[in-house]
Amino acid sequence: MSDTDLSVPFRQRAGSALGDKHLQEALTIATTKFIGLRREAFGEFPEGERLRDMAREIKEATLQHLDRYVDQLIDSVERLGGHVHYATTPEEARRVVLDIAARTGARLAVKSKSMASEEIHLNEALEAAGVIPIETDLGEYIIQLAHERPSHIIAPAIHKTKGQVADLFAKELGRQVAADPEELTRIARVELRQKFLDADLGITGANFAVADSGTVVLVTNEGNGRMVTSLPRVHVAVMGVEKVVPSMTDLMVFLQILAKSATGQKLSVYTTLVRGPRRAGELEGPDEFHLVLLDNGRIRQIAGPLREALYCLRCGACLNVCPVYRQIGGHAYGYTYPGPIGILLTAMLEGPGSVKDLAHASSLCGACADACPVRIDIPRMLVELRREVDEARIASWTERLAYRLMETILASPTLYRWSKPLARLLQRPFARDGRIRSVPLAFGEWTRTRDLPAVARQTFQERWPELQNPTATPGSSTATGEPCDRSRLAPESGHPRPKPDSRHPLQ
Amino acid sequence: MTTRAEFLSRIRTEVGKTPGLFPAGTAQRPSDLRAVTETIKRELAERWPHALERFQLEFERVAGVFHRAASLVAVPQVVAGIARERAVRRLVAWHARELGGDLLDSLAARGLEPFAMPPGDLDSAAERAELRRRVADAELGLTGVDLAIAETGTLVLRSGAGRPRSTSLLPACHIAVFDRTALIESLGQAGVFLELWNRGAHEDGVGAVTSFITGPSRTADIELTLTRGVHGPKEVHAIFVDQVIRG
Repeated sequence: MSDTDLSVPFRQRAGSALGDKHLQEALTIATTKFIGLRREAFGEFPEGERLRDMAREIKEATLQHLDRYVDQLIDSVERLGGHVHYATTPEEARRVVLDIAARTGARLAVKSKSMASEEIHLNEALEAAGVIPIETDLGEYIIQLAHERPSHIIAPAIHKTKGQVADLFAKELGRQVAADPEELTRIARVELRQKFLDADLGITGANFAVADSGTVVLVTNEGNGRMVTSLPRVHVAVMGVEKVVPSMTDLMVFLQILAKSATGQKLSVYTTLVRGPRRAGELEGPDEFHLVLLDNGRIRQIAGPLREALYCLRCGACLNVCPVYRQIGGHAYGYTYPGPIGILLTAMLEGPGSVKDLAHASSLCGACADACPVRIDIPRMLVELRREVDEARIASWTERLAYRLMETILASPTLYRWSKPLARLLQRPFARDGRIRSVPLAFGEWTRTRDLPAVARQTFQERWPELQNPTATPGSSTATGEPCDRSRLAPESGHPRPKPDSRHPLQ
Repeated sequence: MTTRAEFLSRIRTEVGKTPGLFPAGTAQRPSDLRAVTETIKRELAERWPHALERFQLEFERVAGVFHRAASLVAVPQVVAGIARERAVRRLVAWHARELGGDLLDSLAARGLEPFAMPPGDLDSAAERAELRRRVADAELGLTGVDLAIAETGTLVLRSGAGRPRSTSLLPACHIAVFDRTALIESLGQAGVFLELWNRGAHEDGVGAVTSFITGPSRTADIELTLTRGVHGPKEVHAIFVDQVIRG
C-alpha cells in the first residue's frame, strides 16, 4: 500500500495538495456540509452542551482510574468466554492477530472500519501472511482498491470523484461501470456481500468498550459492523486502551453526542453492542471472540502532556472546522490520523520528532476545541508540542534561535525597551506599508508563506500618555478612529473606572 | 508478549503519577434498576400515544416506513402489502415464540414463501450453512422489537435463540413488529434497560449482541451522495400493533 511519502517535507506535501484543484473543491464541499449538519444537530438539541461537559468528565474520571476499568473490562470479557490480548507496540498487535488467523486457519478476513487497525498497518501484515483482508466500509473499500490511506476519519474517500471510483471498480471487476453513486453502491453491496458470507475472520475496532459488562460497541451507518461481528467464525476487535468507559449509563452520554458531532445524525444507523462470542442457543455469531488492547504510546500519555488527547472519540468534527485541514486534506499530514487531533495523536504514537513541522500546521484559532464533543483543548497541546519540539532540539536551529532571542528580550524590561528602536532600525530596508514581506538568510523561512507585521512607529506603551487625554492632542485616536475607552474593555466588571495615575500602566 | 500483569502495572504506574487535570465524574447509575425500569414502563402506560407520535416522526425522518395494525392477526396483511408492492415473496422470520405468535400460515395464504427460524441452535454446521443460504436469499426479514426509542426513531433488537442476528440484516427489507410495551422515550431510558439486561444472572436463550437500528443502512462515501442499503437493509418498516402482542 503506498503511503504518503514522508521523505517529502510537509511544506511540499501541503503545497501539492493546495495545487490540486479537484481536492480543493471536494474538501470545501465535504467540510462545509459536515459543519452545517453538525450545527443543525446540536441546534435542535438543547441538552447537548451539558452532555458534552458530562462526556468530558466521564473521560477524565475513566483516565484517573484507568487501571481499574481496564482490569474490570478484561474480567468481564473473559467471563463471557472471550480472550483478551495485550499489545505494547504495533508489531505486537499484528503478531496477536496473525497468530489468531494462523491458529484458526483463516484465509479471508473482512474488516469493519477501524482507525486502530490502520494505525498498526494490519492489512499489509495480513497480506504478507497469506490472509486476504477486505475493507468493507464503502469508503475504505474504495481506498483499498486505490492502494491509498483514508483522508478523513469518517469519510475516508472524500477526495475521490465518482468517476475515479467507477474506474477503480471497473479495474477490479474487469467490466465497464457507470459513474453513478447509486449504481456503484449497489455493485459494492453485491461484491462485499459474498465476502461477508465467505470470510473466516472478522476484524473490527471499537468505538467504546464498557468495563462492567464487557461490551464492545461499534458504530456504523452501513451495517458492515453487524456483518463482520455476526457472520465469520472468529471476531477480533482491536482497540486503543483509552476507549474503555465504565458503564452503559456512561455509554449513553457518548452515544447522544457522537453521531451529532460526526455526521449530524441523532444516532448512527447501527450501534452494535457485542458481548463476547455467540451464546448457547444462538444460531449465528463467532465461535471465538478476541479483544486486543493496544498501548502504542497511549499509556505513557496518561501522565504526559498529551493526556487530554486520550479523550478523543474519533468523530472528525475538528477536521471539518480546521482552516488548515480544509485547505490541505488528510493525506498531506502524512500519518494515520489527520487534522488537528491527528497532529496530537501522531505525536503520541510516533513521538514528538514526527510532528516537527505538523505542530505548526495550525493557526491556533481554536475552532477545533469548540467543535470537539469532549472539548479537547487542542490548541493548548499544540503550543506545548511546539515548545517540546523546540526544547528537545528537534526544531531547526533558526526556529530555536528565534525563540531564545524572544525569550531573553521579553524577560528583560531593559532589553525590551532597547529592542524597539533597534528593530525599527533593522527593519527599515524590508518594511513596506507596515508589513515585512521577506527577511534575509535562514529566517526567510518564516516569511516564505506569510508577512511579518512591522514594528510600529510608536508602541502602545509610548502612546499611553497621550491616550490618557484623547482630546488634548489631535490625531491621537486609535487605529479605528475611536478614542480608547477603558470601560469598554471590561464592561461587565462593575468596577468604577480607575483614576489615571502617574504609575506606568504596564509596570 | 506483554502479559496482563505487565500491561496493567504500566497503566497503574502512570495513573499514580497524576491526580488528573480536570473535573471528573461518571454518570449516575440508578441504584435500583428494576424499580426505575418499572417506573418508566408505568409512565409510558399512560404517555405512550405521545411517545408513539414522536417515534413515528423520528423514524420517518430517518427514512423508516411506519405502519399500524389493530392486532398481531392483522400484521400478515400489512406484510403482504409490502411484499406485493416490491414483487417479492421470500420471507424469513423470527421463531413464533419470539415474534409473539405464529404468522406463517397466514403469510403463506397471502402468497408469500415464509420460513421461520428454528427455536435454538442447529445440530450441525451443514444445517447452519443451509439456513444461512436461505436467509441470504430472502427478500424480507420479519422480527420483533425489544425497545423502540421515540427520541431517535430507533429499534433495539437483542439476538438470541429463535431470534438470529441475520433476520434483520441480510434481507433487503426489514419489517419489525412492536407494541406499546416496547416504547420508551429516550436514549437515557434505553441505558437503564441495558444496565438491567447486563446485570442479572445470565439468562437462557439471550444472545451476545444488542443492535440499535435507526433507519435503513446508508452511506455517503461517494461524493457525499446519500445512498441506502449498502450492506444492511435498504428499507426498514415498523408495524405498530395496537393490541398488546403478549397481552
